[in-house]
Amino acid sequence: MKRTMVIVGLIFLSVGLFAQGNDDLSPQRKQAIDSLALEKVRDLSKYISIIGNKDTPWSEAQRVIERAVELFMPGSEMGVSSLSRPEVHYYKLREYFDRLMQLNYDRVVIDWYKIQYVSDLERQPDGTYVGVITVFQRFQGYDKEKGLVYEDTTKKDITVYVKRKETQIGGRLIGFWDVLLGDIRVKETSK
Amino acid sequence: MTKIVNRLKFVNWQHFVVITLIAVVAMSFDSCKSSGKLTNKEKKAQIEMYKKKMKEIINGTTTLSLEDQEALIAEAINKNFGDEKLNDLILKAQQVTKKAYAAFEKDNQAKVAAARNKLFDLLVNKQNLSADQLEDEMNKIKALNLGNTEIDELLERLEKKIGEMRGYNTMEMKLKDKIESIFQSIVDASKAGNTSMANSRIDAVLNYFSAPDVPVLIIISREGSIVDYDKPTTIQDYLNFLKDQKENRNNLDSYELDDAGKIKVLDLIKK
Repeated sequence: MKRTMVIVGLIFLSVGLFAQGNDDLSPQRKQAIDSLALEKVRDLSKYISIIGNKDTPWSEAQRVIERAVELFMPGSEMGVSSLSRPEVHYYKLREYFDRLMQLNYDRVVIDWYKIQYVSDLERQPDGTYVGVITVFQRFQGYDKEKGLVYEDTTKKDITVYVKRKETQIGGRLIGFWDVLLGDIRVKETSK
Repeated sequence: MTKIVNRLKFVNWQHFVVITLIAVVAMSFDSCKSSGKLTNKEKKAQIEMYKKKMKEIINGTTTLSLEDQEALIAEAINKNFGDEKLNDLILKAQQVTKKAYAAFEKDNQAKVAAARNKLFDLLVNKQNLSADQLEDEMNKIKALNLGNTEIDELLERLEKKIGEMRGYNTMEMKLKDKIESIFQSIVDASKAGNTSMANSRIDAVLNYFSAPDVPVLIIISREGSIVDYDKPTTIQDYLNFLKDQKENRNNLDSYELDDAGKIKVLDLIKK
């Protein structure tokens, strides 16, 4: 009798675990978080553009760096490539932004485009949704006298982590989606 | 006279004492009834009555309220009939009422939680309801008679808000339009590359808020009672965000004012 009860209990447990692993978001809510994650990547592209812009005042760039860093998981890295070398260098985000500010060009234009999912957000056992967004980055470095001196296009993959969290604000229980970006990996670089 | 005396001499005094004692015992038995003690017949009848009542509680067919059921069980225990079957039924009835109390408490807690969430939504007027519509919603919650201090307090706040809305509705509409217009002007100035203008608009709009760290909540999806937000931010950061992104992606959904008439919580919603 005891053995039967244990078996029945295990069946219920496994059914429960299976149910937890299922994606229980409605298509409308799933679409909302898909868009939210894409939006965060677009936000980052604007921040990178502001930080890299030589006309941005230093204090303003520092403020924007703080906002950009907040978009990432702690310890995340950014891959940086160049047409002049085969290897990809990876920098911690803050170091990457500091280097971006100090690039040795008189004018820098960074533009991200074709921002789209390469791997849809999938629910993990811990409830976090993980996906990969791919972007194309066009980098242009200008010299005052020579004009455009360097240009490349890099395809980069960004891992995104989305998790629902709750907080109390003014007595209200707020359920929010925390979107954090992970490592940004260089996939290919071309002229 | 001599005859009478002789007759008394012949009386059997032992016999007399025994008869008197029997009479006294009989009288004392009779007086038991009036002092509240039960006859076996009555005791049996009461045990049966309590058994019947306990069964009704156990089977859920009783018409008594939970409090009355509890009182009846306590009464049966106090009678201490010493009837094994009745005691067993009392135990089972106790378990049933205990479960019913737990279910009642759970149900009540769920109702309180739902009412609390609803009241907070009404207080920030997420759905832009009119004062009359808010009052209807408020009355529905009042009708639940939850008897909860926090709910009563929120109802009081809502009542105050409805009163304010009736008095200052026009002023509030103007404030909403004004805030949205300033948000757009920050975006426009930034798009035009006029950062100093964008900054001065930011300073101007901050005067409408209690503090630069007033929470800003952005609704990304609303499906029935489920509302999904973006990560909460502050008004200062949100205004800079408008400037940095050069894009106004959200509409003003609702806001809450403090006693000084300044915004203390701002709810936005994705366009």
